[in-house]
Amino acid sequence: MRARGAGLHTLVGAYVMDAVSEADRVSFERHLLTCEQCREDVRGLREAAARLGTAEAVRPRPELRDQTMQAAARIRQQPPLVPDRNRLQSTRRRGSTFRWLSRSAEAGARPWLARVALTAAVALAVTATVFGLHLSSMQGKLSAAEQRDTAIATVLGARDATTLTAKVTTGGMATVVMSHRERALVFIASGLTRLPAAHAYELWLMSPTGDTPAGMLPPARRGMSGPMVVYRLGPGEQLAMTVEPVAGTHQPTSAPVVVVALGG
Amino acid sequence: MAGRDHPQRVPEREPGGPRRRDGLELALAQVAKGDDGAFREVYDQAAPAVLGIVRRVLRDPAQSEEVMQEVLLEVWRAAARYDPATGSAVAWIMTLAHRRAVDRVRSEQRATERELRAATATIDYDEVSDAVETSLEHQRVRRCLDGLTDLQRESVTLAYYGGYSYPEVAQLLGVAVGTVKTRMRDGLIRLRDCLGVD
Repeated sequence: MRARGAGLHTLVGAYVMDAVSEADRVSFERHLLTCEQCREDVRGLREAAARLGTAEAVRPRPELRDQTMQAAARIRQQPPLVPDRNRLQSTRRRGSTFRWLSRSAEAGARPWLARVALTAAVALAVTATVFGLHLSSMQGKLSAAEQRDTAIATVLGARDATTLTAKVTTGGMATVVMSHRERALVFIASGLTRLPAAHAYELWLMSPTGDTPAGMLPPARRGMSGPMVVYRLGPGEQLAMTVEPVAGTHQPTSAPVVVVALGG
Repeated sequence: MAGRDHPQRVPEREPGGPRRRDGLELALAQVAKGDDGAFREVYDQAAPAVLGIVRRVLRDPAQSEEVMQEVLLEVWRAAARYDPATGSAVAWIMTLAHRRAVDRVRSEQRATERELRAATATIDYDEVSDAVETSLEHQRVRRCLDGLTDLQRESVTLAYYGGYSYPEVAQLLGVAVGTVKTRMRDGLIRLRDCLGVD
């Protein structure tokens, strides 16, 4: 069962109550990327749905409390999310860009519900703890995608999140959801012209003091490229995209195919 | 999250602020720093509601206890990732709880198995309901649910408490999927307004 077009808008109630199929969830989360009103609706209706839950409160058996406390003592907590654009760059310097990006692309199939990815990761970790496995190896594998997904949810959920769209001169549309408060943005593009294998789209933050690489766009999936997160926005910067050799460059070598002024 | 650049900034009570932080949110901020005393507090405040919703969806008491603990451990682990700007702490925790319960239903159980489970758990479930019905919060939500149209109420309760997807709800109620979708949305909106949530 798949909702399309205007139908997506009405899906908010079912979505908030987890009453949607995976396909609908993905479509709706895509829709959320560009619909501020929907994000606001999700927030309000989640509070209402939560009350349906709290109304059903029952007292757990007392011994569960100590059990849970003891289990928690064995679980390492996640650090807070610290946006750091340099992380991406240092990854590039180590030459492992492609591994990082391919994992990002997988996680990127479901942008808005970073929480789902997070939940799944936590579930794995909890299971591992219960069964006495080592968490550290798993955390190492999950943290990049996980951290990125949480960043996406944060930007989209920010009260000052604004959406900008721009035509890409070589074809396609770019959409930016930006939060100055979080100093971060989420970038997605649709219908970009397919590039030869040796080339890829690269994002840049351009400011009067110079251009900073902001990540290579992973290959499009079903016509959608991204989402990508760009951190540490500064005042007066512009987001630009150029076509570059697939390994990326430290400075743009071609004219931007799209430039979005970020304001602030 | 807004204070990310200032790690020392801990949410404080702001009487004149746009939205007051409740005790749960304050405790959660402490949990994020590894404070196990604060986690006890979060457990005491949240575990009953988490168990309540998980149990309404899953029915099976033993499985519900297990999922309740998993949810609380998620809260422990991910506390630093909770962002008050995106909603209340209760809503964050209940979202985790409901999704976990529904995931469990969809991944593990075939429909027939679920019906069986529901049938065998009936007595126990009724006992739970008796205890729940005495709470003020339950009565308040019940009153608001009574204010919905029948179709809105049935759509919302089958989805949220029953863990059914909207196509399943449409099938159960014998109405079009599009109708169910809008009733779920309108029902929740009416509920939100009735409960006066922000």
